[in-house]
Amino acid sequence: MNSKRVDPLSRIFAYLAICIIALPILALVIKVPWSTFFSGLTSGGSFTAVKLSIWTSLLSAAISLVLGVPLAWWLVKSNPKVTRFIRPLVLAPIALPPTVAGLALLGLLSRNGVLGSYIYQHTGWQMPFTTTAVVFTGLFIGIPFLVLIAESTFAQLPEEIEDAAVVDRVSQSQLLRLIALPQARDGITTGLLLAWARILGEFGATMMFAGSMPGITQTWTIQIYQQLDVSPDTAYALSFFMVVIAMGIFVLIRNPLKDAFRR
Amino acid sequence: MKSIYQRLWLARAALSLFFLSFTISAMQPATAVDSKSVNVFAASSLQVQYSALAKKFEAARPGVKINISFGSSTTLASQIVAGAPVDIFVSADQASMAAAKSEITNPTDYVINQVVLAVPNNSQLTKISGLNGNVKWIQCAHTAPCGIAADRALAAEGGVKGSPVSYEASASSTLAKLLAGAVDAAIIFKTDVVANKSKLRAIEFADSQAASSQYQIGIAKSAIAKKNRWANIFFLYLKSSDIRKALSKAGFQVDSLK
Repeated sequence: MNSKRVDPLSRIFAYLAICIIALPILALVIKVPWSTFFSGLTSGGSFTAVKLSIWTSLLSAAISLVLGVPLAWWLVKSNPKVTRFIRPLVLAPIALPPTVAGLALLGLLSRNGVLGSYIYQHTGWQMPFTTTAVVFTGLFIGIPFLVLIAESTFAQLPEEIEDAAVVDRVSQSQLLRLIALPQARDGITTGLLLAWARILGEFGATMMFAGSMPGITQTWTIQIYQQLDVSPDTAYALSFFMVVIAMGIFVLIRNPLKDAFRR
Repeated sequence: MKSIYQRLWLARAALSLFFLSFTISAMQPATAVDSKSVNVFAASSLQVQYSALAKKFEAARPGVKINISFGSSTTLASQIVAGAPVDIFVSADQASMAAAKSEITNPTDYVINQVVLAVPNNSQLTKISGLNGNVKWIQCAHTAPCGIAADRALAAEGGVKGSPVSYEASASSTLAKLLAGAVDAAIIFKTDVVANKSKLRAIEFADSQAASSQYQIGIAKSAIAKKNRWANIFFLYLKSSDIRKALSKAGFQVDSLK
């Protein structure tokens, strides 16, 4: 580590980049109304929205973990002729605009959607406008993040260890459980944290697919958007915690990331 | 030798996340299935008044929960048609109510609002034609009731050649941008100016008929089918003369359009 080796031009550009990112975040913290901070957070259903967001995002993250790790493992170990087509498909939500994601979910699961119409005819139940829709949107957005990072971690594992284990006749499930997973632990943790943050921050797709009903589908981010119209102070107070969480996550994953890329 | 628990860290991580999410969700009162809860979809221009009166209604009747989803009436109507769980719909114009007629019954005229050109108190603008000057102004989207009324009022007025810098999604977001000082003027509902009279003043359109929007209120067919008693009580409460009086104080006209 020697910052003296950075040339002056790069240094200027780097400082400029820091300003572009740091100043808006700083402004947000300055605008937080500290005098009415807690009254703002407890009024107008904000607390309900925060609680809803936290438990639904944790549930989505947990399911993403359970489904995403096997998918990442399958992508690494399967025939590239097949995964070449599957990988772009399952990673697409990372780059998709939220409105398109919302429309896709509606297209499948709304009452006149491709699958939703069938479900609705037979059970009278539909997913949009329910808390289930909030969790499902989280999965659609969260699984790809987890897969992206878990797959690259699995792919970087040294093959010699795995080959040795195969020679020693470990079973398929042992290969994942005892050989791959312990080595990929930090990478998967990073993927999990990023996926959770992304799910927690989800806004557009949730609003389109799940709607905005207090206590049922009105999430933290939707509440920020709506409070901006009636009480900007509350919106700033609610946003402040999002900044804390976002920065907290990168403090947490700095070390696992370093470890993951050192190999 | 690592213990089995150490080796199963992935399962533990997933399990603890599940556990945590269920714990927090258990702290959440179940609102969806409770028959003592009423779901109201209301035009965003009613947000200030309705939030306050819902709180008052709940305080007087312990256990009853009024959930209100505010937004552009057009958006709310399409959510209702798509099957959103709604008991009462209050729209900012007749077209949105008509769009939701497959789910909503007995729509009646409610109150009338009027769009005006709103400017900060210290603004130099005094006439609608002032929009032709070097002025940054906004209005609601052509699809939202406040935008439809704005289009109608501007057409009746004639002479405004420029166009707004933005078409906002709802009445409340249009107001928010004006209050934040992001624009010089905005065509918004008169009630929003009344609610912010310490900061804003209104310039009225010459043709008040063209600038008007007829609000309507209706109850969901599903609420009647489910015999949701509290939906019916809250529906009658919203239509009561007490509430209409309060709304007239906020700048709404309570008599119907001729």
